Amino acid sequence: MPASSSLTCLIVDDQQTMRSLVRTGLQQLGFRTIYEAPDGEEGLRQMLARPIHLVISDYNMPKLDGLGLLRAIRSHPPIQKTAFIMLTGRADKELVQRAVQFGVNNYLVKPFTVGTLKEKIEAIFGVLA
Amino acid sequence: MSFTSHAQDPAHDAELRKIHVIQGQFHVADGDDVVLTTILGSCVAACIRDTALGIGGMNHFLLPGSTGDEGLRYGVQSMELLLNALLRKGARRERMEVKLFGGAHLFDGLSDVGAQNSAFAEQFVRDEGLNYLGGSLRGDRARRIQYWPVSGRARQILLAPTESKVFATERRQPIAKVEDTGALELF
Repeated sequence: MPASSSLTCLIVDDQQTMRSLVRTGLQQLGFRTIYEAPDGEEGLRQMLARPIHLVISDYNMPKLDGLGLLRAIRSHPPIQKTAFIMLTGRADKELVQRAVQFGVNNYLVKPFTVGTLKEKIEAIFGVLA
Repeated sequence: MSFTSHAQDPAHDAELRKIHVIQGQFHVADGDDVVLTTILGSCVAACIRDTALGIGGMNHFLLPGSTGDEGLRYGVQSMELLLNALLRKGARRERMEVKLFGGAHLFDGLSDVGAQNSAFAEQFVRDEGLNYLGGSLRGDRARRIQYWPVSGRARQILLAPTESKVFATERRQPIAKVEDTGALELF
């Protein structure tokens, strides 16, 4: 049973408002170390610079989108096993299918509740302490 | 600022293709002949366009930003979808300009959802670094809004206080779940 306070998370989204909402949800779940990036390029740069256990990434972003970030992570051996949750809209079933092909661990449909966020994370890491 | 409060011009309006944006929806358009319209009480509509691309859109949200199960009725989701729709069509954040309307407080003694919606919308625009031109928020009257997405022109017609009361009463009916968004016209 992992302690959420021991997990580091990176939120990648071009909208600061959405990053804040995800951050608030993670903090309610006990996460203490949370980083943010406004696009996939910056997210990848941060992942190569510090240990990250979980990435929660939007799909629609400038420079490098969520799918591009996922593919980049899976092709970099030092970080390729990092857990990855994709944020999607309701009409993005095709995107989810492509993300699954590229090794996404789970997806989160917006809008979401903190309870759903918890379920998605626990499906990867097990029940959070 | 190019929003006005005067009456419509019937001759000109006859040539326009009007698209009405109801609560919980958004619409993006790029035609010179298109005007996006909505009616707002405590709800807020964001009118956003790319000044170089000749494209713009309007949303209409019911409640301020939150994660939850009511979908587009929440401002944060509505704003994101409108922005993403514009970005997908080639718009760029640094060229976007925003006008905000609505957020009225129609009934004394009730919680001021309009003020919460207004504060959320203003905060969102600040946080996202968008160019906020202004608009018309708060007050105690419902509004009819028209927005030309190519030029960015906006027109506001304030409803009479009696109309505002009727409008607000209608809006206090139970709202549909997100699956029904777009299928229910409350006014």
